[in-house]
Amino acid sequence: MTPINRRDLLGHMGSGLGAMAMAELLNAEGLLKNDQIKIDPGAPHAARNPHFKPRARNVVVIFCSGALSHIDSFDYKPELIKHHDTPLPGSDGLLTFQGANGNLQQPLYPFRPRGECGKMTSELLPHIGELSDDLCYIHSLHTKTATHGPGENCMSTGYILDGFPSMGAWATYALGSENSNLPAFVAIPDPRGVPQSSLNNWGSGFLPAAFQGTPFNAATPVRNLNRPSGISEKEDLATRAFLQTLNKEHLKRYAGDTEMAARISSYEMAARMQLSVPEVTNFSSEPLHIRKLYGTDDPNVLKAGFARNCLLARRLIERGVRFVQLFNGAYAMGEGKGNWDGHKQLKTDYDIHGPILDQPAAALIRDLKQRGLLEETLVVLCTEFGRMPTFQEGTKGRDHNPSGFTAILAGAGVKAPFTHGSTDEFGWKAALDPVSVHDFHATILHLLGLDHTRLTYYHNGLKRRLTDVHGHIVEPILS
Amino acid sequence: MHLQRFLWIMPGALLAPSSACLIQETGPMVDFGQEVAPVLAAHCYRCHGPEKQKMGLRLDQKAAAFLGGDSGEPGIVPANSARSELFRRISIPDELDRMPPDGEPLSGEEIALIKRWIDEGAAWEDDGSEKMEETPHWSFQPLGDPTSPLSDDPWVASPIDGYVLARLRQGELEPSSEADRVSLIRRLYLDLHGLLPTPKQVDKFIRDNREDAWGRLVDEALASPRYGERWAQHWLDVVQYADSHGFEMNNPRPNAYPYRDYVIKAFNSDTPYNQFILEQLAGDSVGKDAATGFLVTGAWDQVESKEPAYTALQRQDELTAMVNTTGTAFLGLTLGCARCHNHKFDPVPQRDFYAMTAVFAGVQHGERPLYSKEDAIRLSKQLEISAEIEDLRNELPSLRPAISSSRNLERFKPIRARAVRMRIHSTNSAEPCIDELEVWSNETNVALTATPSSSGDYANNPKHKLEHINDGQLGNPRSWISNKPGSGWIQLDLSEPAIIDRVVWGRDRLQRFEDRTPTNYTIEVSAVPGQWTIVSGSQDRLPFGTQGGKATASLNSHELTSHIAEAEERQRALMVTPSAMVYAGKLRQPGPTYRLYRGDVMEKREIVAPDTLSALGRLDLPLDAPEQERRVALALGIASPANPLTPRVMANRIWHHHFGTGIVSTPGDFGTNGGTPSHPELLDWLARQFIQDGWSVKALHRTILLSNTYRQTSSPNTAGLARDAETRLLWRFPPRRLEAEVIRDCILQLSGCLDLSMGGAGFSTFEPNDNYVRVYIPKESLGPAEWRRMVYMHKVRMERAPLFGSFDLPDAGQVCPKRNQSTTAIQALNLFNGTFVIDQAKRMASFLKTSGGDPVDVAYRSAYGRPPNATESSTARSFITEESLVAFCRAILNSNELVFLP
Repeated sequence: MTPINRRDLLGHMGSGLGAMAMAELLNAEGLLKNDQIKIDPGAPHAARNPHFKPRARNVVVIFCSGALSHIDSFDYKPELIKHHDTPLPGSDGLLTFQGANGNLQQPLYPFRPRGECGKMTSELLPHIGELSDDLCYIHSLHTKTATHGPGENCMSTGYILDGFPSMGAWATYALGSENSNLPAFVAIPDPRGVPQSSLNNWGSGFLPAAFQGTPFNAATPVRNLNRPSGISEKEDLATRAFLQTLNKEHLKRYAGDTEMAARISSYEMAARMQLSVPEVTNFSSEPLHIRKLYGTDDPNVLKAGFARNCLLARRLIERGVRFVQLFNGAYAMGEGKGNWDGHKQLKTDYDIHGPILDQPAAALIRDLKQRGLLEETLVVLCTEFGRMPTFQEGTKGRDHNPSGFTAILAGAGVKAPFTHGSTDEFGWKAALDPVSVHDFHATILHLLGLDHTRLTYYHNGLKRRLTDVHGHIVEPILS
Repeated sequence: MHLQRFLWIMPGALLAPSSACLIQETGPMVDFGQEVAPVLAAHCYRCHGPEKQKMGLRLDQKAAAFLGGDSGEPGIVPANSARSELFRRISIPDELDRMPPDGEPLSGEEIALIKRWIDEGAAWEDDGSEKMEETPHWSFQPLGDPTSPLSDDPWVASPIDGYVLARLRQGELEPSSEADRVSLIRRLYLDLHGLLPTPKQVDKFIRDNREDAWGRLVDEALASPRYGERWAQHWLDVVQYADSHGFEMNNPRPNAYPYRDYVIKAFNSDTPYNQFILEQLAGDSVGKDAATGFLVTGAWDQVESKEPAYTALQRQDELTAMVNTTGTAFLGLTLGCARCHNHKFDPVPQRDFYAMTAVFAGVQHGERPLYSKEDAIRLSKQLEISAEIEDLRNELPSLRPAISSSRNLERFKPIRARAVRMRIHSTNSAEPCIDELEVWSNETNVALTATPSSSGDYANNPKHKLEHINDGQLGNPRSWISNKPGSGWIQLDLSEPAIIDRVVWGRDRLQRFEDRTPTNYTIEVSAVPGQWTIVSGSQDRLPFGTQGGKATASLNSHELTSHIAEAEERQRALMVTPSAMVYAGKLRQPGPTYRLYRGDVMEKREIVAPDTLSALGRLDLPLDAPEQERRVALALGIASPANPLTPRVMANRIWHHHFGTGIVSTPGDFGTNGGTPSHPELLDWLARQFIQDGWSVKALHRTILLSNTYRQTSSPNTAGLARDAETRLLWRFPPRRLEAEVIRDCILQLSGCLDLSMGGAGFSTFEPNDNYVRVYIPKESLGPAEWRRMVYMHKVRMERAPLFGSFDLPDAGQVCPKRNQSTTAIQALNLFNGTFVIDQAKRMASFLKTSGGDPVDVAYRSAYGRPPNATESSTARSFITEESLVAFCRAILNSNELVFLP
């Protein structure tokens, strides 16, 4: 059902008893009471106004799949180093996801101050650390689950279960897009494959399919974008024109029906996408120094692949795409091999993954900044949960830790340099100013000019929200 | 608040005060009116009084105060302040939880006063609130018995039309004229079958001048097996059916399909809806095992964690999905809300949710054997014999003979095994020694080909080695000894799984040694890696060294033993192998179900008996009611004609799929947060009619399809569009884009490729893969194996079906009573450029060429049900000359006239 608001309804229907009777019916159905957004079926991605003046117009999420260890990257804990190889206090009989834990383990990469602000970050991700003057660290995130799939669901949709709309779907449902020739919401999977929770991360759940993220990256194009092989351009164009003749003929019998008109315009939009998507994935116009900044031609092919995805993200943002979700890490290769899930030999795994993420992601932030795009773009670097300050018993890796982890925000509307909240002295549990995933989402929506309690969609008995019935804006981080 | 209903639950709580007075202590009792009420008024009424009831709590009325707020915790439990949420929240040390949240806290004296008042029995004069009754929400009210209006109007052909016309006139609208016959037959076939009528069928209908031509066409269409394939899909959406488990591993669920086939069959054979409910909730009680696939259609998180709280949460999520699906599918209620607190909108207290949970508590995700009817009879006979054998065994002397150092026989019920393990917990001396461990399957010692392993072996002694344990050679010189004094285990992994029924072992069968003999041990069998079942052990033997236990040699027990052997023989003769497995839940007797405080699995509260919603009555089952009985009772309650929700919800569902929007626009939610009916009397009339027709779904279709309302044209008119653009009042038949399945099946039909074979395992459009977490990559090209109807296409949870996934296919992550209808450029790209469509366009072109007629004419007739007019024909012809017939077909397959229901 297309949502309606009262003003539009009365405006469209003119006056008269019939119109009022209809309004009464809808009112009785409860459809006027809610804040559901009116979507024009002919242009579901038309730009729409936020609830209030936004700080950010668009969002890039860099999602580190597999649970990036905050202990070894951004969350500096001197006490952990001091108490290295002693038992974690309060962990008697503690069983985490994979079982028992050994002693405390100091970070596997040394920390040192970075940026003018002197933020302590580790050698694992030095390029990102060097940007600390532009970053806002949240060290006190916590989530509801210690399993990857549900954890990614939670970080991307607010629910640990399958089937709920992703943050990008909510954002584009609310705001549409500034570019009518590109998808409003693009998910860029890692060159190595898709993350644990795969499509859930960019699915539309029960929102209309129009708000699904469109997955493609610099290496894999949008499915079915191109003219099918064996069909000439001339035939393709002529067929499209002939189809529109058929459709316009049919429309004569349904004059005034928006759904049918919408389907006609969807083919026009598709034709525009056929031109604009190849343009955005063609980097030939990017100068050498930019390609070098990202590392798009790095001899490490995995790093170069991710770098090209980062560059693609900037080009999409530049063109007004509302929401870009960039994945670092893929699941199918197995635990820790292609992602941040360092259970058994964390250092060996992270020595591979660190360089893939570090320079390209840092370059994206730098590049957005030097183009002035960071002023209206929010960059989010996150993961599904953290890792334990201990090694798992009998291993050289860390188990899952949903009780405390770090995310980074940068850009529009966010204080920088800034650090919010902290974990306990060893980095186990969020201690000072804990931030739930719902709080995190509420804050991101707030920066987009959206009130998370008003951004709702009726589904099966409830006005659903990204933040369920929770969420408080993390005010201290707002600039 | 619906006070009336809660009072059924807590009569004890309300009666208690008077009896509590009997145990009065010294001193005068606290007076509620004089002493307690003023305290409550001063501190609490502002948020929990007549004006506001925050969190659903009201403290100025007796019934509501005793009941408590949304959390489901009882507010006041007479004589038990510790269990009374009121007392807990005013006295809790944690400031965040303590009431009142701001303003003056209660003084120590006031808190003590309230505590004393509660512990004395919480005497509160009857204020009449217990008898206060609110009118229940419309959907809970009994079905009305309305008379259809305007029956004299010439447009009114059925009571449906009377209700619709009356409502239209209220909105100053008139119905539209009847649709042309081409539109009618296409509408009917696309609606009922999800396929196009053939040009022949169209011609026949156009030429049928009989008065009842339409009625005949409807009957014909309802009798076709294509009907069940189409309408089963609607039901499968609601119950979130999929052929994979979902979550991150998303492994295939290869034996889910018997449930899908069951649903198709049920629609085709017009299984009465009340029977359909019973079969899905408790089909195992009526020989319809596949039907209970319903219970486990939800996603299943297979990731195992070592964290007990998380494991409990996973289980609770599974049970919630069962309760939720049942609520949405049959009752149109969103019960999941009550997992954490009393339902905010509907009369569902939190306790009800856990009562429903208790009904399903014995259902686990997994497969069960699918037995034929004959098999089921054999099985029940087998069970009888089992009981007989059990009785005979009980007559045997209770303890087996003492352990012997030479030879011990362990006999047990035949069991499937991949591995056998003997665990030794103590010996008569030193490290245990076993000379041979035999494992018997019929007359074969399957140990001989097994691979041995142990807890540790005696070092450096050629006589005592691990490989001696199953080398077939008896006696001390070829034996195994553990490396630990008094304990150890020895395991045999069989070369292939076998049904085994006995193990034989000894310390030294050559009888030279009696030391090192196990005196406490267990024999365990494993069929699934990591899961062990104890099948025998020392626990039922006389202690080592005792001389007794010879009783088994007595004549009596010989007789018994032979009776047992004979009964076992009869049982074996009745052995059935299941014809197949079905993902329909593993069923077993559950333990108690607890209400969970705020839904937290670690916060168990009182035990809850299995029951239906209190608003629908009571099942009166004991706490330990047999598993199956719980589900049967729930099903009968849901399908009772006294329950007005069930027929209303189903009648509305059917209406929803015929007209695109239900009389209630939220087909899965009939609660106060759902829609109110646009035509309430019509809904009740349909629901009544449905029951009168013996819950026949086909009869309900017929009633609707024969109305003039259904047969109106779908062309718009200005008055209608201006006043009711959404067509909620049905001034025309609402046209709409067809679903993914219909578009795909019609394409295959037009290319002549559609394979109409029914049922079975179905097909996948993804490349096979066996990664431990599945990665679904679409097949590059599809062939005849993928040309069956889409209802047989493997539904991969959360994964978009190639090409058609963009057409609002539900993802089976949550229940889907109603699909979205969106229009996107990605849909256009997929349908215009997708390999499948391009390939089908080529096939359609070849098909047209072999049809014998003019290709343009045949294409229009097949796709649109009509011939082209002169202009259309000449435009098409010149396009084909200029481009190709294939290009023409590609355009037809993408056209609005094909993909919109007329």
